[in-house]
Amino acid sequence: MSQLEPTIELPLAAPPRRIGRGLRVPGWVVLLLQNRKSRLGLGMVAFMVIIAVIAPHISVAHPNDFDLYAARQAPSWNHLFGTTDQGSDIFSQVVMGARRSLLLGAAAGALATALAAILGITAAYVGGIVDEVINFLTNVFLTIPPIPLLVVVSGYLASRSMGTMVVVIAAVLWAFEARILRGQALTLKSRDFILAAKASGESTRRIVFGELMPNMISRIAAAFVLVFYIALLTDAGLEFLGLGDMTKTSWGVTLYWAQVNSTVLQGEWWPFFFPGAALAFTVLGLVLLLAGIDEVSNPKLRTERRQRRRLLSLFVPARGAARR
Amino acid sequence: MNTLMVEPASAPVRTDTLLELCGLTVEYGYGEKPVRAVDGIDLEIRQGEILGLAGESGCGKTTVANAVMQILRPPAHVVSGSVLFRGEDLVSKKTDELRRFRWRNVSMVFQSAMNALNPVMRVGDQFVDMMRAHERISKRRALAEAAEVLEFVGIERRRLRAYPHELSGGMRQRVIIAMALALKPELIIMDEPTTALDVVVQREILQQVEALKQNFGFAVLFITHDLSLLLEFADRIAIMYAGEIVESAPSADLAESPQHPYSQGLLESFPPLSGPRTRLTGILGAPPDLRDPPSGCRFHTRCPHCLPDQVELYRRQTTERPRLREAEPEHHVACHLVDGGGE
Amino acid sequence: MSATQLEVRDISKRFPIGNALRRSHVHAVDDVSFELRPGTITALVGESGSGKSTVARLLARLHVPSSGSVLFEGSDVARVKRRRDVLRYRSQVQIIFQDPFDSLNPVKTVRHHVERPLRIHHVVPRSQVRERALELLDTVGLVPVEEAAAKYPHELSGGQRQRVAIARALAVEPAIVLADEPTSMLDVSIRIGILNLMLKLKDERGLSFLYVTHDLASARYVADEILVMYAGQIVERGPVEQVLEAPLHPYTRLLLAAVPDPAKKLHTERIEVRKGHASAAIDPPEGCRFGKRCPLAIDVCTHVTPALVEARPGQSARCHVTAPQPATERN
Repeated sequence: MSQLEPTIELPLAAPPRRIGRGLRVPGWVVLLLQNRKSRLGLGMVAFMVIIAVIAPHISVAHPNDFDLYAARQAPSWNHLFGTTDQGSDIFSQVVMGARRSLLLGAAAGALATALAAILGITAAYVGGIVDEVINFLTNVFLTIPPIPLLVVVSGYLASRSMGTMVVVIAAVLWAFEARILRGQALTLKSRDFILAAKASGESTRRIVFGELMPNMISRIAAAFVLVFYIALLTDAGLEFLGLGDMTKTSWGVTLYWAQVNSTVLQGEWWPFFFPGAALAFTVLGLVLLLAGIDEVSNPKLRTERRQRRRLLSLFVPARGAARR
Repeated sequence: MNTLMVEPASAPVRTDTLLELCGLTVEYGYGEKPVRAVDGIDLEIRQGEILGLAGESGCGKTTVANAVMQILRPPAHVVSGSVLFRGEDLVSKKTDELRRFRWRNVSMVFQSAMNALNPVMRVGDQFVDMMRAHERISKRRALAEAAEVLEFVGIERRRLRAYPHELSGGMRQRVIIAMALALKPELIIMDEPTTALDVVVQREILQQVEALKQNFGFAVLFITHDLSLLLEFADRIAIMYAGEIVESAPSADLAESPQHPYSQGLLESFPPLSGPRTRLTGILGAPPDLRDPPSGCRFHTRCPHCLPDQVELYRRQTTERPRLREAEPEHHVACHLVDGGGE
Repeated sequence: MSATQLEVRDISKRFPIGNALRRSHVHAVDDVSFELRPGTITALVGESGSGKSTVARLLARLHVPSSGSVLFEGSDVARVKRRRDVLRYRSQVQIIFQDPFDSLNPVKTVRHHVERPLRIHHVVPRSQVRERALELLDTVGLVPVEEAAAKYPHELSGGQRQRVAIARALAVEPAIVLADEPTSMLDVSIRIGILNLMLKLKDERGLSFLYVTHDLASARYVADEILVMYAGQIVERGPVEQVLEAPLHPYTRLLLAAVPDPAKKLHTERIEVRKGHASAAIDPPEGCRFGKRCPLAIDVCTHVTPALVEARPGQSARCHVTAPQPATERN
């Protein structure tokens, strides 16, 4: 690399691109849409979100309605996903359940990411005692085993409302991301444009929010997606164990009842399969999105594209081309 | 000197052409809009001479080096033209032949030693690897020869056991020069070999290269953006701009009377260390984007002699590409102002 | 603009290396003293690791000095903590960095970069910020200004980015600009443009610059005074023409001999160089740090660190041989 060539493009954020005339789109959004994995993942998640939004309009019955005459029916046109032991329509349960599950996952993701970003980046930039204190906090939360903690806490909590669950899950998951974001911020902190902002007289708050964070968007987005799907799985897991709010509709609760009523032993696969599939589908979408974000952030992972090009060069005759 | 180092058989110096580039064109990318990094250049390097190739960022000089060594990475590829080494066209050679040719006949010194050296191998082992890839030689002999060539560049032989990161920047650069010399090639391409080094170290190394050249008789293609360096060290200089060669001449001639406005501007961009301190103007504008180079003469957008009111000349400057012509013996220029008669 | 002066007194910066058991210190900057006078360009010349960038960063308050003081308008700014005082200093002393590709935030527009200092320091009322930003872009030659303001750093060339950095520094109307190798990463043909801009700003606005560079030729082109650094110390200083025509310190002579001079058409005589490098020493002992490489070294050079002595009017050097201490004993 000659002295006169630019330093390597920062992989954590991409500068905005212009679409058409004047419309500016954040660079990372463009990259995300171009990447196959994240496109697919985004599509899957968007699909689920749409289902959740229109759920009241597409569910045929109230999820908790039961109709003993219709109990234990296999999937049919009347009941697309079949019915439970009590005759509740599983399709309704799944689509309505999507609302709670997704909302909870997103909220927990947002809260955990916000905590992780603010604390992690501030610790990295300010350093000193602030860094020590935040590190200590992070370490404390990291060493707490999440599942046992969640089990114990939900066992003891009087209210198991969504809000509580969101806070509990976020509290358990923020520390992991805080450490990662702190690491990233440390590499950015000594870059000249941050020093220049400091030399201009920018306040710490402005540097953290206005200069550092915008350059870490892809990592923060990745943190959000990660916590989102872990929250989804954790919440479903807790409900499956009977530790969630059993009166609300969600995928985990449906699975719980499916398990409690030993439906599989009776050959009824549908109470398990459909909520499980919905969960898996959503998580898969999120994981693909995450993989896409990672690929976009780290050029070295873009092997896919490079290989395609080499194949292409075999077919494109290059006059007088040299072979390596 | 040392008896183990034998002078190359072609020691009586002839003014043979060693390397010749004819109409070489290299593009990046396929189909749609490829970028022409190098556009039909003609260049000649003679035995035992130091040819300097000067230009700024994006002019294509590194691409030329890669093309000669045939190490162009896709999507870069040679579109047309030839690279003739002693009359043989390298572009059409097979991989095997190229491997034998590389390092033995032509070797290369990169700008950053850390790009060329394996950080987890000792220096001596890398020498051995390289030598054994080209000839049948025992490890012990290879190490012995490596030690000798290291001493030629001024590094103690005990450094063979060192890892690259244990050496200073200047030493690492010397190591890769030694590696480039080890098989006694006839041509060494040096791509910005001292740019990242301090001025004192730079001079040391270049003095050493000169001394080695006297000793072994190899030719050097010295690529750099630092024209002032070339004026001191090179025998002949070629100036590249936007993928083309705009002027080439012996260094003394170029320093005395540069013909092309770009060369003139470039020489003006180096403030003198002695004499009066006058204001210099440099060159206005910036090197062009090769995805969309200016039409006609690529330099016309920055040329102080390109004026719309000189209608006929202006028309030529903006539509026709000037060709490299011999304005004086050994002095070639590609400029409408020069071949149109009158300086 | 009121006559301001920046006085650097015996400033040092030591960086610890190693662990708690075996701690050593890198003496990046050692007892450096100089003054910046209004309307002058002072060149701080040295090779990599000599400490010149660290000096600039110390003056920009990006590092805290290990010892010594930086006196601005009479008071020591190196250690003030109050935001108000810090802001006041920053409105008078600004810095430009070496890497044009790194000193701008890649996700922010040119406008953002130039407007921020205007807003932070309330240089003009809010309603005029936008207009003033465009004026600044015009001053540094980034025209057409509206177009330039809307661009992102990656849409600009290296020279253009450096001009944005200069505009940003000028926004607060500083008295002093610290330019840390502003042209070394730029193409040769655009370096002169940036250097000329510096000269223009000095002439028209009475700005003073600290021009940090490793390039003697450009130092000669722009500067009035020159300071030569080696291994963290200033080894020679004086008016630029005087020092370059008749250098006192052997290191300055070595540098001069090593720099390619386009005016020298014939090959220069070989210079003899001994092993050694200009970078900061670790726990240096007493004695001259250039001693091992010096062709003039005498016995005292290994035992006593030379002081900066004014051997000729206006020109000082740190050398026992060429600028010996006068007969009285050193304190």
